[in-house]
Amino acid sequence: MGPCPQERVESYSNQFNGAGKAASGKRFQPRPLILLISLVALVPLLGCAPDALQSTFGTAGPVAEKQLLLFNVLLWVMVAVFILVEGALLYSLVKFRRRPGDSLPVQVHGHTGLEITWTVIPTILILALGIWSVFTLFELKDPPATADGALEVTVTGHQWWWEFEYQDADGSGRFINTSNELIVPVGRPVNLLLNSDDVIHSFWVPKLAGKVDVVPTRNNRMWFQGDEIGTFYGQCAEFCGTAHALMKFRVHVLSELDYMNWVDNYGQAPGTTEALTSTARKGQEIFMSTGACLACHTIEGVPGAMGVLGPNLTGLANKQTFASGVMDLNRENLRQWLKNPDDVKPGNRMSEQAPVYQTADGNISLTEKEVSALIEYLLSLK
Amino acid sequence: MAAITAAIPRPTSSATGIWSWLTTVDHKRIGVLYGVSAFILFLIGGIEAGVMRLQLMTPDSNLIDPDTYNAMFTMHGTTMIFMAIMPMGAAFFNFLIPLMIGARDVAFPRLNAFSYWVFLFGAIIMHVGFLVNAVPDAGWFSYANLTGIEYSPGAGLDYWAVSLQVLGVASLAAAFNFVVTIINMRAPGMSLMRMPLFVWMTLITSILLVLAFPVITVALIELTFDRLFGTVFFVTSAGGDPILWQHLFWVFGHPEVYILILPAMGIVSEILPTFSRKPLFGYPVVVFSGIVIGIMGWAVWSHHMFTTGLGPMALSVFTITTMLIAVPTGVKIFNWMGTLWGGSIEFKTPLLWSVGFIALFIVGGLSGVSHAVSPSDYQQQDTYYIVAHLHYVLFGGSLMGLFAGVYYWFPKLTGKFLNETLGKVHFWLWFVGMNMTFFPMHFAGLNGMPRRIYTYGTEYGWDNMNLIASLGYLVLFVGALLFIVLLIQSIKNGKPAGHDPWDAPTLEWTISSPPPAYNFAEIPQVEGIDHYWIQKRKAEAEGNPITGPEAPVDPSTIHMPSPSYWPLVIAFGVAWIGGGLFIEIPWPYIKYPVCFIGGIIAFLGVIGWANEPAAAESHH
Repeated sequence: MGPCPQERVESYSNQFNGAGKAASGKRFQPRPLILLISLVALVPLLGCAPDALQSTFGTAGPVAEKQLLLFNVLLWVMVAVFILVEGALLYSLVKFRRRPGDSLPVQVHGHTGLEITWTVIPTILILALGIWSVFTLFELKDPPATADGALEVTVTGHQWWWEFEYQDADGSGRFINTSNELIVPVGRPVNLLLNSDDVIHSFWVPKLAGKVDVVPTRNNRMWFQGDEIGTFYGQCAEFCGTAHALMKFRVHVLSELDYMNWVDNYGQAPGTTEALTSTARKGQEIFMSTGACLACHTIEGVPGAMGVLGPNLTGLANKQTFASGVMDLNRENLRQWLKNPDDVKPGNRMSEQAPVYQTADGNISLTEKEVSALIEYLLSLK
Repeated sequence: MAAITAAIPRPTSSATGIWSWLTTVDHKRIGVLYGVSAFILFLIGGIEAGVMRLQLMTPDSNLIDPDTYNAMFTMHGTTMIFMAIMPMGAAFFNFLIPLMIGARDVAFPRLNAFSYWVFLFGAIIMHVGFLVNAVPDAGWFSYANLTGIEYSPGAGLDYWAVSLQVLGVASLAAAFNFVVTIINMRAPGMSLMRMPLFVWMTLITSILLVLAFPVITVALIELTFDRLFGTVFFVTSAGGDPILWQHLFWVFGHPEVYILILPAMGIVSEILPTFSRKPLFGYPVVVFSGIVIGIMGWAVWSHHMFTTGLGPMALSVFTITTMLIAVPTGVKIFNWMGTLWGGSIEFKTPLLWSVGFIALFIVGGLSGVSHAVSPSDYQQQDTYYIVAHLHYVLFGGSLMGLFAGVYYWFPKLTGKFLNETLGKVHFWLWFVGMNMTFFPMHFAGLNGMPRRIYTYGTEYGWDNMNLIASLGYLVLFVGALLFIVLLIQSIKNGKPAGHDPWDAPTLEWTISSPPPAYNFAEIPQVEGIDHYWIQKRKAEAEGNPITGPEAPVDPSTIHMPSPSYWPLVIAFGVAWIGGGLFIEIPWPYIKYPVCFIGGIIAFLGVIGWANEPAAAESHH
């Protein structure tokens, strides 16, 4: 990191030694101060909580890792600069504090050598970091070339949920449209084409990659690769209106086998692997008629359920969450949501537009029994 | 028309009370008007922050609904930037520039008053939204296309856009005034390189204002026309590009942040020499750094847009330029430290605040460098890590620098000290509170907490960071209350301060505290950057020390600009042009005649201004 500026500081102070300072008073010991500053400067390290769900330190893929590497190096540079500069500041405040009887200090106007030094050295350091950044930018521009190529997924941001479309999920042309939970195989680059249906959003799953904005009229691209099997949390990161805080999503990185199984089993008509119970069948009826859910939602294998205004509900029961990551998928939550979605996610479009919610209090116009049947049906969507 | 307005006598300068304030053209009074208004608006912005911190104190909180929360962060940012920090800076420009350059007033005293009144009306228009439940709620930089009429149908964003246009008029008028004043009205002997550093920073800031505000004006006009008159600049379904807004906004927005920080840097550059008893270290370099920052500030705007998909080529350019701008900033910091080094440092409140400024600005500057590293910025952008950075530079930097100035120049304004002991407590409350509130935000951001979210779940691990931040707010709140108390106490019973309580080097300290209306009985012949030090030391060496201010003279022997009604009239007209757009009762179309009437009022005001008697009658 270059010659220790500490030496420069010492020789500079020698120019003033004894200039106007009273001889009395104890000798000033810089060491405790340096210790204090160093401790303060290391506080940032407390912040590393890689296990936190959306921690940028808990990287699980090469994009996030490369981005973190730059940050980690910079962090140490920042800590070092902090110690040096704040340390020098504190030191000067203590060493040169006014003591009774002080005469006028030497009226120094400047020092050209110092000015050059403290301009040139930071410039070199900064350019080095800048050039490394530029290299990293170009390195991260495209996914690595692999035998079977990257998995291509189109992400569409909506107020306030996420749509994921695979033009070719399994290499043989299988088209999949799903929502809010993105399923990808481990170790394979995933190329994302980002679209917006309305306003600017931002796709951010910190452990896998830094965010890229989802801009209407622009087809921004980004890629990531999940190198660890697991579930990774993401969230919209560009203010997009009322329910921005609740526009969450998850990325499930599966083994190649599990991923293929998911693709194969996706989109089977409800009741294919397991027969629908009679309640669930009633639920399906409600979905298709009185509830009018089909107007906005698609369920693969259910002719007529082809609405595209809302999230695709195919395989809902296999997901961990619903309503764009806001609620864990279970009976109670589904009931709470269906009864009055606006209580859970204020401003949501379903409460605003679905006929069953155009009631005085916003509560669903269906009966409790009808809602139960609906829940039964939704939980059978595997 | 001209004959009529020429016959209306001007108010006399001996008038007291409200009327004298409404018609004043005295830069010192206008400075006070700006300062008081800015402080009140600062408190309002602070309450808005408090509402947010209350909501975020606990996870899954239902205290505040999302629409209210979104309005809070929008208004907090907008208020603090445009209606607190900027006018506080203007307060200092107004009060100090003529005093520091040895002039009796600014180049255009009536234009100066006009700037203030337009500013006040603009701030009022911004807040009318609260009364009609149409508060702006798309963030202080209001990204298109969320701000279009389709996604933000209420009137809130119209209040935001119109009010900012009106505020922009105020800023532009003031900027022109200060550029001309500084270039043209310096006392003899005060070459550009002998100007106090604060004057230099004001000059650079004013030039930035002149060049930057037209850009946001264009953006706001396009937004207003989209929303009110059916144009499609940012309407995506018609091919509009939301990124255009971002470019326009940030080409303005980045110089804007230098507009916010340079005055505070100027203030600190005045205070450090006084309390170290040695000159500013590297004065020409500090001046040059300010100029370089002003120029380079135009080349970095897209670092606010790193994640918008501009491509690695554009990002590379802005990465390098953004990183390079850290160099002149660092150079300034080193020069301030060079000022302290080897000095004889007295820890009075202005010095404490100035050192606090340096310490906290260093933190903000360092985190800023980490944003410049664009690959990492993909993680940091739109998170609390950015919120932490911006508050370190704006609160720890701008605000604390401005308060350093408050404590330093209050004695000049009033002839009394601000309570020194309570002032130190105020400083420590804000220094500690500020770190408590904003340091944890670095962690929250890097651990995945995005900005502008009204609530968060406990499963993310952000609970402690948010709790500490909210408790830190309480400390800041107490500090603000304490300042109000000590301000009132000091105005009533403050310890008397003479003309030169700090043994300072610049011209404003040569005259009495408070200064006479005419500032200088005799325009000084300036002998150096630290003119007054030179004078005082020469006098002492000659055995004839200076013990008092410049002797007063009969004010009627010095011709000063007379007060005027017309700045207020024109400002009122301008406000009507803007405000008229919101009048929809009894019919929507009534807004056009109302705006037109506002235009007529402004026009009549201009005629009146141009034709009024050159001076009040008592002069002759």
